[in-house]
Amino acid sequence: MTKKGSGAILDRFRQITEKSHDYAKSLKGKGQLLAGYMCTHVPEEILYAAGIVPVRILSSHVSQAMTRSYIHETYCSFSHDCAYQGLQHNYDYLDLIATSSSCIHMSEAFNVWVRFAGFQQKSFLIPYPHIIQTKPAGDFLVASFGEFKQFVEKLAKKPVTDDDLERAIKVYNHNRRLLKRLWEFLRRDQPPVTGPEVATATLASQVMDKQECNEMLEQLIQSLEAEPGKAPSGVRLMVTGGACDDLGIFDLMEHLNYSASLIFIDSCTAARYFWFEVPEDRPDKLKALIEGYLGRIPCPAKDNVPGTGEKKRFRFIQQFIEDFKPDGVVFLYQRFCSPQPMDIVALKPILQKLGIPSTELELDTTLPITQFGTQLEALIEIITRVAP
Amino acid sequence: MDFVPILGVNRKDGYWKMSEYASINNKLDWTRAKMIAAGVDSGAVSSKAVILLDGQPYAWSHVTTRTPKESALRAINAALAQTDLKLEKIHTIVATGRGRTQVPFARQAVSEIACGAAGAVRIWGPSVRTVLDAGGQSCKAIHCTEKGRATDFLWNDKCAAGIGRSMESFADLVKKEVSEIGNISLQSDKFPKLSDFCPVYAQSEALDLIRSKIPVEQLIAAYHYAMAKRISTLVARSGVKEDFVIIGGLAKNPGITDRVESILKVNRLAPKPDWDPALTPALGAALFADSFSRRQQSDTTYGARMSGIQSC
Amino acid sequence: MNNGKIVVGLDAGHITTKALIMSGREILGYRAVPTGFDVVAAAETALNHVVETIGISRRELAGIVSTGIFRDVVKVPALNVTMTVPEYVADAKGAFFLNKSSRTVIDIGGNIHKAMHYDQNGNLLDVIQNDKCADGLGIFYTRMAKAIGLSEQEMSELALKSTRDVSIAIQCALSAESEAIDLMCQGVDSADVADAISKFMSERVAAMCTYMPLTKEIVVAGGLAKSPALVKHLSALIKQDVSVLNLPEYVGAIGAAISYGESQI
Repeated sequence: MTKKGSGAILDRFRQITEKSHDYAKSLKGKGQLLAGYMCTHVPEEILYAAGIVPVRILSSHVSQAMTRSYIHETYCSFSHDCAYQGLQHNYDYLDLIATSSSCIHMSEAFNVWVRFAGFQQKSFLIPYPHIIQTKPAGDFLVASFGEFKQFVEKLAKKPVTDDDLERAIKVYNHNRRLLKRLWEFLRRDQPPVTGPEVATATLASQVMDKQECNEMLEQLIQSLEAEPGKAPSGVRLMVTGGACDDLGIFDLMEHLNYSASLIFIDSCTAARYFWFEVPEDRPDKLKALIEGYLGRIPCPAKDNVPGTGEKKRFRFIQQFIEDFKPDGVVFLYQRFCSPQPMDIVALKPILQKLGIPSTELELDTTLPITQFGTQLEALIEIITRVAP
Repeated sequence: MDFVPILGVNRKDGYWKMSEYASINNKLDWTRAKMIAAGVDSGAVSSKAVILLDGQPYAWSHVTTRTPKESALRAINAALAQTDLKLEKIHTIVATGRGRTQVPFARQAVSEIACGAAGAVRIWGPSVRTVLDAGGQSCKAIHCTEKGRATDFLWNDKCAAGIGRSMESFADLVKKEVSEIGNISLQSDKFPKLSDFCPVYAQSEALDLIRSKIPVEQLIAAYHYAMAKRISTLVARSGVKEDFVIIGGLAKNPGITDRVESILKVNRLAPKPDWDPALTPALGAALFADSFSRRQQSDTTYGARMSGIQSC
Repeated sequence: MNNGKIVVGLDAGHITTKALIMSGREILGYRAVPTGFDVVAAAETALNHVVETIGISRRELAGIVSTGIFRDVVKVPALNVTMTVPEYVADAKGAFFLNKSSRTVIDIGGNIHKAMHYDQNGNLLDVIQNDKCADGLGIFYTRMAKAIGLSEQEMSELALKSTRDVSIAIQCALSAESEAIDLMCQGVDSADVADAISKFMSERVAAMCTYMPLTKEIVVAGGLAKSPALVKHLSALIKQDVSVLNLPEYVGAIGAAISYGESQI
């Protein structure tokens, strides 16, 4: 049987995630300016409007300890790895790095790049409020995004017009809609694509020029619409948690001793990245961007409704559970992350009420396959009510 | 039933090697058994085997793990060595534990969560709802039904890894038997505080206490308290519903179990005099093996089902 | 130095206590015993063993200079400790004594690892020590050897036979242990696991070394210096050649012994 048309496109997405530097350098070779970002709260459209392609900085999964001289021991391995790559000059080809103040671990990794990796003149930290569900947050960001825009204009040596911004917003929204459509395939009884494959395409989109990505996604979706689907085998697993760029975990979930299918991922390297839109055709583009970005599914580091302590993210998670119908939930978070496990404390009782079993996998540089395999298989045994 | 040490403690290696043993219930006759099933628990620190005859424990063993494959074989052979029963005559063998995929002679693998729950209810009865498996490398809190079916579990976070093994190296450092330090630790009510979050810190802080010239019994108590606190935090996060039992190697350490009980304010069901709690997951695996064999015998379409997983 | 007198350097460390006897520049004998929880008893055992082996009585000893983390704890009447030397001073002196062209010694011990930088006379210039999260490398190594079912020496030799580059997480000994066990349970060859363990330890030591510029020549001391795989990886990570001192565990004790007669610091 010949490889389906979608297979070739998915392979290309996979290759881009594995060789993201090569891809980025090929863009540079065409004269493209590149900006690295460390947190998805960066308004990429402002960069794109200035003709700069934003690429997310992901981990290299190298076990190293030298960054312990730069940032604290008990910071997550993702932040250590990002810091390490800066110090190793793996990303020297970037014209700029940007991040929003999100969690302290990533902020420190960013500081390492600024102070020790030569990015002092080509970096920007966007002050971003943590309590985002308030009017002052929106007002604050007007100034914040405004300053970022000015910085970007200076770097790109040209003004960013409203038309530029609107074009960028439309390209990015298109990307978001396409990715959403891709994930929606997994709601079908017979999806033509698997969770790990969709996760791969999503991760690739974070390191690609969105226009090129959109073309590929359109072709992919077109191919998939025409291909026969296959009912997902075994139990349906949904992942929720923090950044995870290790596709090996998702592959593992579908290659256990028991059958399981990965049917949704709520993380900033997956659904949270694109599950929103920036309002189009508004007169004030920055305000439109602010409205869009504040309306995202929040990262736990930013999710707090003042006065009630309510979490906005949980409403989304419950909606995903309703729409994608998982049998079990896998919490994924970095060892030493603070915000993610705090959310779990409140999420677990919600899952228990819904009768959905769960397990927690603690991410690190490397994957402990037998431990994670045991936890996942135990979860499946619980779901399928295994007993002697 | 006696625990017969077949390999003994090798004092030359220090207080390191746990006792290896095998035991048998000679009242049973394997030649008359309709169903012979076995479970092998390939753990990080020790490997255990349990052989059932028509659902009754017949022979069992407990050996130190070196590599999973080699140690699983050693465990089952140690159990078999007491009889003239041969490996080939066992109808079904199920492997559990971290190294369960490395047991080539096992027909099936089931997680130590499901096996721990099944074994615990078999031993302590249908009132069990929470099982703490405090093993050499990892700690898990397991919730189960009255039938021994696991319903929830919490695996230790990395900051609580290797507590069981750290007990052994601690025993080595203070030059005591690992089987004694638990009782010694209960001799002191007052002792200095060590980090109860990180075993690496606790170990380092314990070493520095040498300077203070406190009696070694107090140091042992301090370390036990710190580790018991760490384990209790884990269990508390998962929630404890009575009845509560403790299995795994650390279940044999009263310095840990007593303190876990007092910190959690819940008493465990007493260990059974004829049963080593560390063998519980292996027993659970044997129960699964027994049940797979019986279903296979009565169900002609068994082979067509994927993975042999049956609902309860 | 000691004017031909017979002196003892006693290095009372977290994990092992070392006694070494010197006369002039000649090393007469040495012994290491586990400190256990009774460092005085360990010191007595080590010392008695050495005097017996070289066939002298304790009365012939001019004095004992103690060093190591428990150097003050061994100052008991039964042991005639005439002076104490901080362990990093002793290490620098001892390393310099054993290798006059060295200027940096990296001491990888049972619980602590540190690096000392010294001048052309062996006088200490700078010292750094590991982060608390990297404590216990020696203990970890012993534990892992037992876990694989080997002696420490056997595991060191096995690591050199590794054919596959495998990584484990390096945050601390708990991560490393978790992941090394996981590798074993995956069926990864013990030699590759042993090498991964050595790499983890070398990563932690190398991380410490980034705090202080390392001046050539660099030598390695301490019990863990006896693992060639560890030393090889360390050298690669710090991008410098290193050599292992003779009697690597006794460097501190040597430094203490040759300090005899100098004024107390």
